[in-house]
Amino acid sequence: MTSAHIFLSKLRALFQKRKLEGELADEIQSHIEMQIEDLVRQGMSPEEARYSALRKFGGVEQIKETYRARRTLPGLETLFRDIRYGLRMLRRSPGMTAVAIFSLALGIGANTALFSVVDAVLLKTLPVEHPEQLVVFEWQSGRPFRVSGMSGTSNVDVPPGRRGVSMFRYDVYQQMQKAQATETGSPLSDLFAFGPMPEVTAKVGDQPDVINGQAISGNYYSTLRVEPILGRAITVDDDRSGAAPVVMLSYQFWQERFGANRDVIGQQLQLNQQSFTIIGVTPPAFNGTLQVGFYPSITIPLAVEPQLRGEKSLLGATSASGVWWLNVMGRLQPNATQQQARDSLNTVFQTAGLAAMPPPRRSNQPAQIESKDYPSLIVEAGSQGMMDRRKSYAPTIYGLFIVVAIVLLIACVNLANLLLARAMSRGPEIKVRLAVGAGRWRLIRQLLTESLLLATLGGIVGVLFAYWFKGALSVFTNEESGLLPSGVNLILSWRVLGFTLAVSLLTGVLFGLAPAWRATKLDLNSTLKQTGRTTASMSRLSKGLLVVQVAVSALLLVGAGLFIRTLHNLQHVDLGFNQENLLIFALQPDKAGYKDEQLLRFYEQLLDRLDQLPGVRGATFARVQLIANDNFINDFLLPGETAETGADHETMRQMVRENYFATMEIPLLRGRGFTLRDDQHAPAVGIVNQTFQQRFFPSGDVVGKRITNNYGNRQVEIVGVVADTKYESQRDEIKPLLYTPWKQEAADIGDMHFAVRTTGDPATLVTQVRAAVHDLDSNLPVTDIDTQSARSEMTLAQERLYARLFTVFGALALALAGIGLFGVLAYSVSQRTKEIGIRMAFGAQVRNVIVMVVCQGMKLVLIGLAISSLVGYALIRLLNSKYFGPNTWQQRMKGQLYGVTIGDPLTLVVIASLLTLVALLACWFPAHRAAKVDPLVALRYE
Amino acid sequence: MVRDSKHEVLPGTLNLLILKTLDTLGPLHGYGIARRIEQVSGDILELNQGTIYPALLKLEQMRWIRTKWSTSENNRRAKFYFLTAAGKKQLAKEEEEWQQTSAIVTRFLSPSEK
Repeated sequence: MTSAHIFLSKLRALFQKRKLEGELADEIQSHIEMQIEDLVRQGMSPEEARYSALRKFGGVEQIKETYRARRTLPGLETLFRDIRYGLRMLRRSPGMTAVAIFSLALGIGANTALFSVVDAVLLKTLPVEHPEQLVVFEWQSGRPFRVSGMSGTSNVDVPPGRRGVSMFRYDVYQQMQKAQATETGSPLSDLFAFGPMPEVTAKVGDQPDVINGQAISGNYYSTLRVEPILGRAITVDDDRSGAAPVVMLSYQFWQERFGANRDVIGQQLQLNQQSFTIIGVTPPAFNGTLQVGFYPSITIPLAVEPQLRGEKSLLGATSASGVWWLNVMGRLQPNATQQQARDSLNTVFQTAGLAAMPPPRRSNQPAQIESKDYPSLIVEAGSQGMMDRRKSYAPTIYGLFIVVAIVLLIACVNLANLLLARAMSRGPEIKVRLAVGAGRWRLIRQLLTESLLLATLGGIVGVLFAYWFKGALSVFTNEESGLLPSGVNLILSWRVLGFTLAVSLLTGVLFGLAPAWRATKLDLNSTLKQTGRTTASMSRLSKGLLVVQVAVSALLLVGAGLFIRTLHNLQHVDLGFNQENLLIFALQPDKAGYKDEQLLRFYEQLLDRLDQLPGVRGATFARVQLIANDNFINDFLLPGETAETGADHETMRQMVRENYFATMEIPLLRGRGFTLRDDQHAPAVGIVNQTFQQRFFPSGDVVGKRITNNYGNRQVEIVGVVADTKYESQRDEIKPLLYTPWKQEAADIGDMHFAVRTTGDPATLVTQVRAAVHDLDSNLPVTDIDTQSARSEMTLAQERLYARLFTVFGALALALAGIGLFGVLAYSVSQRTKEIGIRMAFGAQVRNVIVMVVCQGMKLVLIGLAISSLVGYALIRLLNSKYFGPNTWQQRMKGQLYGVTIGDPLTLVVIASLLTLVALLACWFPAHRAAKVDPLVALRYE
Repeated sequence: MVRDSKHEVLPGTLNLLILKTLDTLGPLHGYGIARRIEQVSGDILELNQGTIYPALLKLEQMRWIRTKWSTSENNRRAKFYFLTAAGKKQLAKEEEEWQQTSAIVTRFLSPSEK
């Protein structure tokens, strides 16, 4: 308490030094004068009185010194002095200071922005009470364990050869929950489940919309301890069969679609044509516990899920056996461990899991499985909600981190070079200070203060840059790129700013220490004899740093070159169909209740209307959207095979309108195309692509052959062969593809992708197309409406991103290296003025001087390029070696390349030339300055 | 009473003397405090007047006294020191401690001690 008082008042004194110093002088002055007055009054002469007063007071300066030492914090005061001195030194060479701060700011800014991604994706915990008590349940089993059906993605770390899953079946969860609730002294306070419900049609006012939702167990909010900001939360009572259907809105959905109207509570919301009562709004910070990137707009109790999804219910509460789709989490009792939680539920889970195992589908599968293949529970920390998909983003993030760390390294080299140059030019001053007895540590501290100052300033400007970079990074989070989870909110939180501070201080110390050490190591004897003019023009250290800089930027630029070529190759790949003048959109009439005859009639009417639209050459549709990473796969049997004997053949599938090939401009190679007569009453027919023919009928003719489609167990006669097309993406290796006429696939055409071939710009038809759908059914949302070429570009988002990223950072690295080279050379020229003067006096031509300086710089650049090619070669060897397994991120990064090898000669030559060009430019200006040296002036210099 | 009539201020007692002075006389400037200490001691105490200033600073940092610039009796600007509530408490404490210490020392030195 009192020591805190003292510290505070001392700290205050630090900032009022001048004022307090004045007050002290005044006080002593008045003291002595009062004493004199008194003494004079007692009869002394003024002279005598002054002498006596001063003697009585004691040594004035001594007292003041004691007073000062007690008044403030001497260490801090020195630091302040160092900082003031450092700022003065930085102001003296504003150009170099600006370069250093700017370089650092770019590096630190990029790192800060990226760390904000790490924070949001990998570190942030759920905004609930005691998130550390939450656990996530997952399970693993041997491959022979069978599941009835699974929906969702999971990425659980399990030993190879085993299955890791984060989804549970509803009945399995219910048994676990019951066991937990009845166990006395359970390590868990409660267990809850939740599952995603993508693509729910919600009708707010007049406009139908497709949104994401989720279904939760009734104890979800009470266990998480999340309070709604409006209305009430879903409770256990809402989650009983027969309960009135209720729905909670997410804060964002409430803001966007209801204008934050507080009267929504009690109103009805139409979801998939069913009426739900709105009971509450969740808080803005809480986006749920589902996988990152999936933020539900609405939440309903699990018990009403069958009402919403109808026949496609995953709950299995009715007749069908359920699907494994729910995530299960729990909250630990205080002091309970994850292991205890796992052990308390594992037996129940195993029994329930085995009971849920369906009978074998094939005769070669055993009815019973060995105990080593039994499913068993895994418990993981749940403070961040479902983590397993977040983890899959880690490779990308680390890859990016390597790139930005390299940029920071290059920036730091500029800082180090600046400090080195500065320390050398101050050599004489430092030597004198050392000679008169200044401590080496004291001098290092002074120099370190300067580098820390630069780093701190760089960090501050870097945070400003980070705001800008952050905007650029959020481009990565759009859904198509898939590079980072969508909807992630990037915030410069305290953790992020703390990271920035740490990085700044670290760079300041690391890259300031070496120059400071060097500068103060000077041998007194030899250096005092020198005059400072003839010190070496460039230290070996700073030459080495420049070489490193060039080498690293060369590597980054080669990366940029490779990704630019990849993007270019993919943009110009032959898709096999004409993607120009094609407007695409999707409809899901099955969600609106269409089926059977009604569905067929709806499509026929709509396609007729679309065909009639002015500017439309033809309208068609297909089950799978092309070049959108979408697919549909079937097993089938070749002629003569049976279910027991057949090998697993797979083919991609497509269900199309009869005019599909003509509209998409896919050439028919043999046989016939589909006609209007190939309808539900006609015999089943199919058309295959060339690859199908080559793969499965390499010798004979495929036309006229019958294959058995395992899916639906039907015989299909192949009537034609069409040319190959790209299917999932531009990168596709062409796979076998089987087309069938849409009317013969009534079960699978509820969700179709339309393509409209136009005579002019397809974008102009958007309104007419929407109107055509709206006229037929105003409740049906038109989704994903776009041109095919824009859609294809979107599929390349990730490639474009890599190309852009490497280009931006490569250019940044190049600029920083150029600036560094320029700075060091310019400094060297200024140090060699006298030498150059002498050379010119002895007859050196301007040309000779320029060549000399340029050579000095280019030598370093060439060494840097040589080193980077060696490193590059080693990297390629490393990548091709077995060191990195097939699925490591390094290999995946390499797999990003398309139509270009990692050692592509064209890229290497272009990058080397570009670097040389920039380096020449950086050398040119200092060389020019050197050439302007006037021998007379130079010799008189100093 | 060894060889001289002048005495150094006992270490640690200067704080007590200053606090007591301010308690008795109320707000006072540095010179006033120094004079008072000299007078009360009957000019026996040898005080380097300047040394009271670092002592005053310390008392101020402990928040036992506060300062204020004001005008002295003969119209001179001076820094006045006055006791805070915490200072009064501290004074009482130090007085008591001093009484005890001196009582013990006196008992040791008194002739009645066997």
